[in-house]
Amino acid sequence: MSIELDQVTKRYQGVPVVNDVSISVAEGEFLVLLGPSGSGKSTLLRAIAGLTEINRGRVSLHGRDVTHVNAREREVGFVFQHYALFRHMTIGENIEFALRVRHAKAAERRARRQELLRLVALEGMDDRLPAQLSGGQQQRIAVARALAHRPKVLLMDEPFGALDAKIREELRRTIRQIQRELGISTILVTHDQEEAFALADRIGVMHQGRLLECGKPDDLYTRPATRFVSTFLGAANLLLGYRSKDGIRFAPPVNPAPADAPPVYEIVTVLRPEEVEMASERKELKATFVGHARVEEVLFGGAVERLRVRMQDRGTVASAVKGAAASEKGAAASDDGTLIEVTRTLPEKRQLPVTPGQRVALGARRIHVLPTPVSSFSVVAATEEDCARIAAAPLLQALSTRMVTRVNHRVEPTIGEPPTGKTARALAPPGVAAVESGPGGAARVEWLLRHGASQVLCLDPERPVPTRVVIHAASDAALRPTMAVASSLLRNLPVEAAFLDIQSPSLPEEGRATQLRHLLDARSEAAAVHGLDVRTELRFGDSATELSRELAAEDIALLIVGLPLAPTDAWQKLLPIAKLLDARGGDPVLIVRAAT
Amino acid sequence: MSRFRQPSILPGFGLTLGFTTFFLSAIVLIPLAALIIKGSSPSLAELKEILLDPRAIASYRLSFGAALLAAVVNAIFGFIVAWTLVRYEFPGRRLVDALIDLPFALPTAVSGIALTAVFAPNGWLGLKLASFGVQVAYTWIGVVVALILIGLPFVVRSVQPALVEVQRDLEDAAETLGASPWQIFRRIILPAVLPAVLTGFTLAFARGIGEYGSVVFISGNLPMKTEITPLLIVIKLEQFEYQAAAALGLAMLVMSFIMLFAINLVQAWGRRRHVAAGR
Repeated sequence: MSIELDQVTKRYQGVPVVNDVSISVAEGEFLVLLGPSGSGKSTLLRAIAGLTEINRGRVSLHGRDVTHVNAREREVGFVFQHYALFRHMTIGENIEFALRVRHAKAAERRARRQELLRLVALEGMDDRLPAQLSGGQQQRIAVARALAHRPKVLLMDEPFGALDAKIREELRRTIRQIQRELGISTILVTHDQEEAFALADRIGVMHQGRLLECGKPDDLYTRPATRFVSTFLGAANLLLGYRSKDGIRFAPPVNPAPADAPPVYEIVTVLRPEEVEMASERKELKATFVGHARVEEVLFGGAVERLRVRMQDRGTVASAVKGAAASEKGAAASDDGTLIEVTRTLPEKRQLPVTPGQRVALGARRIHVLPTPVSSFSVVAATEEDCARIAAAPLLQALSTRMVTRVNHRVEPTIGEPPTGKTARALAPPGVAAVESGPGGAARVEWLLRHGASQVLCLDPERPVPTRVVIHAASDAALRPTMAVASSLLRNLPVEAAFLDIQSPSLPEEGRATQLRHLLDARSEAAAVHGLDVRTELRFGDSATELSRELAAEDIALLIVGLPLAPTDAWQKLLPIAKLLDARGGDPVLIVRAAT
Repeated sequence: MSRFRQPSILPGFGLTLGFTTFFLSAIVLIPLAALIIKGSSPSLAELKEILLDPRAIASYRLSFGAALLAAVVNAIFGFIVAWTLVRYEFPGRRLVDALIDLPFALPTAVSGIALTAVFAPNGWLGLKLASFGVQVAYTWIGVVVALILIGLPFVVRSVQPALVEVQRDLEDAAETLGASPWQIFRRIILPAVLPAVLTGFTLAFARGIGEYGSVVFISGNLPMKTEITPLLIVIKLEQFEYQAAAALGLAMLVMSFIMLFAINLVQAWGRRRHVAAGR
């Protein structure tokens, strides 16, 4: 591996701006780090170059650990957004700088200078000053200068950011060509997805300091694993779907469910605007029926037509159309559904011209199901007022906003009461069920688990958003689902997380090894499927004691705990953490129930 | 007139040029002309006697020598002060920043008296230095110390904005290219701020030549030893030798002008080499 980062973390004033990033770049590979501004991508690049110290983690270049090596000894080439040419030196002196500080001979310097100027197609510019060159030419010189000392790694920080569109495209080609020619491992940072698609062998998407996903451009586009990537790379409609053994449907199941109904799981699907089919009636659709919608807006965009349609059938929620999430809350009470973005080619448009206000049937040619186990949130309480109060909790608000998903309200008058035996089977609330902590908290959680909820968040609505996350799985079977839920949530919380592995001191040696191997397996699976790397801490002792010790600190920590619960033994297994759930003003706890 | 007129978005070229000419004449040129007329009225032999008097020559040496030395010291330490203020965050930074300007605001006599009190052989610092056999007050060293105090803000205030202008990117770039901290300083930072240092040096030097108030208290004013030219002029005035005073003044004027002009030439040359050649 040419460049290898292992759980790199960088904090500014306690806030992680680069959070547990692990990445490897192969020899000669062109990796583009893509992310919105403030996602930590530039900081990460500077950390690789050695221009920024990191707080934790390891940086290796060509197998050599350079975590504590100066920038000048790392042998990297760095290209800055604003060129950073030395203005008092000529072009020739600029290019020779790296050789001059290494006391290379004049003849060698001259030869290398000519070679590099030829490479960037700016021969004969030697005696000019940077100010005499255009922006595009200056950036070429900056690239030539960065390559002078034959670095094995080239790092570029938004190199086209200060250039206009035409020159940008030309320079992009030049850089791609040079990179191929030299076969130099390259990382380029940008916020422009078009640029990323044009240049990258692989794209890494960063958000809030985390590297969410890393993969080939078309894999990331067609099979994103996260909500953020699916909406950041191109446009996407995120729809909640319901999967049962019969397939995927978009209308929610009825509550209470008929006794013979198969179990239904809520899922998050990605529907690209270009994969939406529109027809005047349902029976004319060639693709899977999604629902009916009313056309709201028609925009002609040259080669394609862009439309926004509003879903009329209930059960389709959460859209990536900007602003839709905000308006959605207001619309939740009415019959208005979600805004769906559609793009059509001109032939499609000719077949069915539409005007705003027209009712159409929507079909999906291709649906991608996100591997996230967290689809939505459902607040469960005895009264509607309590639901509204819990739904306003900062943590729930933060998560639902960032995940662009909804918070359902579910009024259950009997919540927290012991089983009475003969009640109609209430349907498990969709997504993560949220209840209030405090007295009776454990009983409420237990009630939900008994009614089939698989993820229960128990929180005090008054408490602010946690500043760190502690993850723990009570058994090997619980590891996998716990990691999946944790990865899904962590991507939307810009805080640090640690996986706590607690081993009984009485465990025999070989047992320990097995357990550790399970842990590492689950971790690498989380990294592979969910693109998330979490650091692990090993403790010896009793789970309940170690957990409460970990949570004893003043700050607010979200505990994500995986429990292997069968429908019958819910209560007993909760005992170790029951204290946490019953405590007023305690830390929020998310219980992940492992399938048994 | 129209020959000089430059196309400009601001109107009123004639008015502003007229004002500039008038102002410069009234405040600078007319008094200087009077000095030149008065100063050159004695005959050549008389002039020679006044200007080449050993006491006068000793005073030139002290005035220009001390001013030069103080300006050099200021150029170095002023740069360090400016560097500290620009590059580091520390508690009380703004306070220190404000303190730099104090020598501008203080009446020079006050700083002179204060320095004398501290550096006098029985003074707070003078006492300590005396034990090392160093005497500051009433020697040429005292003159230099006073001029350093007076000249420091000129250097700091010239260099500060230039240092702010040096982009961190440039240093980062040099570092990734393999430059050591010293190479970064010498090849990147220094060339960028050198014109500003030179400006500060010139201002401090010019101010040092003309300084009177703070020096007369600390120098002791011994003829041939610690007597500066401005003081000699005052002494001549007090003895009603107006022509001698004017002649000495004229001599200072000519020497200062030549030196400042030389420095300006160097600066212009440097600018052309580094920046203007690019246009």
